[in-house]
Amino acid sequence: MPDVATAPSLLRVVDGRRLEKRVRDALNPGGYLMDENGRARQLPRFFYEIPTWEDAVNTQLTPNFHLWEFVQTDVREAPPLRAFPRYVPCAVTLLAFALERLRDRVGTTVHIAANGGYRSPRHALTHGASTHCWATAANIYRIGDTYLDTREAIEKYAAIARDALPGVWVQPYGGGPGEVDDHLHVDVGYVVSTPREAPGEPFHPKLEWGAI
Amino acid sequence: MTSQALERPSRRDAGALRRQLESLEREAGANALAVSVYDTESGEEFGLQPDRWFHAASTIKVAILLGVFGAFHRGALFPQSRVHVRNRFASAFNGQSFRVESDRDANSAVHESIGKTMRVAELAHHMIVTSSNLATNLLLDLVGVEAVQRTLDQFGIEGIDVRRGVEDERAFEHGINNRVTARGLSSLLRLIVEGRAFTPELSEGMLDILHAQEFRSGIPAQLPKGARVANKTGEISTIAHDAGVVYPPDRRPYVVVVLTEWDPEAGRRMSLIARASRAVYDYITGEDDA
Repeated sequence: MPDVATAPSLLRVVDGRRLEKRVRDALNPGGYLMDENGRARQLPRFFYEIPTWEDAVNTQLTPNFHLWEFVQTDVREAPPLRAFPRYVPCAVTLLAFALERLRDRVGTTVHIAANGGYRSPRHALTHGASTHCWATAANIYRIGDTYLDTREAIEKYAAIARDALPGVWVQPYGGGPGEVDDHLHVDVGYVVSTPREAPGEPFHPKLEWGAI
Repeated sequence: MTSQALERPSRRDAGALRRQLESLEREAGANALAVSVYDTESGEEFGLQPDRWFHAASTIKVAILLGVFGAFHRGALFPQSRVHVRNRFASAFNGQSFRVESDRDANSAVHESIGKTMRVAELAHHMIVTSSNLATNLLLDLVGVEAVQRTLDQFGIEGIDVRRGVEDERAFEHGINNRVTARGLSSLLRLIVEGRAFTPELSEGMLDILHAQEFRSGIPAQLPKGARVANKTGEISTIAHDAGVVYPPDRRPYVVVVLTEWDPEAGRRMSLIARASRAVYDYITGEDDA
């Protein structure tokens, strides 16, 4: 068994604006997306760099969640982001802590779906300011042995999530637009995390406004 | 004595083959039988109601396979590309979501991967070999109905109408269905067996999947043991089809498509397909002349 890293502290924090262009274009660091009400939401600028899939598998964010669970995407992800090194917004740690708390409350495993953790703004499933682009949302398709594909199961665990995680948002059950019927979407909003070791530069108004 | 025993088709007696097939259709009590044959050795074609439209049932999956391989050819997809296995699809009628019921699907391996990912090549295999409806809808979602139809059109294949995924009951109730003719499916299989589907390598890849078919009660069932078959069946309440490529020993292959329509309570539907297939085999190989 390989050693398991116990925190993302072993991963490098990078400024998305300093990455190569094709990656930068896909991540759109510090850029803006419009939410469903037309409000601009600023995307994260700082990311953990994940050198290999093995690193994602071996990086433990919390006692029960590893980094790979949050970055498992499919062919719909933007091509530059399907190869390693890959990048995930630093707020993924906050999401992991929130899910750990939910996991404690339900007392069993919480499974995040493929495409159900971080998705880039260029992911084919991204519409508007999806919180998945902030790495602050998770689509949970199974809790323990229960698949969350019925109203009863989804609403039961939505209530538990609201109770366990103050301020969390869960998507309503249903088959229409803005509703889900095959997973529980939980998110903690448009949270941006800037770790203390994040690179940076002196304030420069042009750089700040140039991104808008 | 049955009419089948009275008259069996000798080599290249198309009239006798037609009469025998019509006789088999009557004896079986089918509402309709259509057959299309293409012999890659002689170039000869045979058709019985070859342009009659039928509900495609699962034979449409061969067209979707072509669409997937077309995406490989364009570089839009790779066999090793991963796809999120999710059982939620939008109806072609009104966009409302529907699911593939696991107890109605022939394959459980794909259902067991819900929430995870599978490779495109694995899904293509399951779509054809075990006729997984979930794999089919995942691939069609990925490639797109229009792209599949466009691919057929680019090859000039008429007689295959791709409109939606499988198990879309709302679309079915409103008459939005995938349709095929025997000649249409025959043209598609001919394209593949002749190595003209994009490249010889990609054509071979599709044939490999069809050769792994697990449903063998139709075209292959009454053929001699030495004959290999690459096929795809399709069955719903009033429909039983099989479309395949038959490789008799020591001769080039031929394409045969048998489409049938029935009353819902009718039984022994695949038996008619198997008997029709044997009649075609005898016709092509001249087995009775020996």
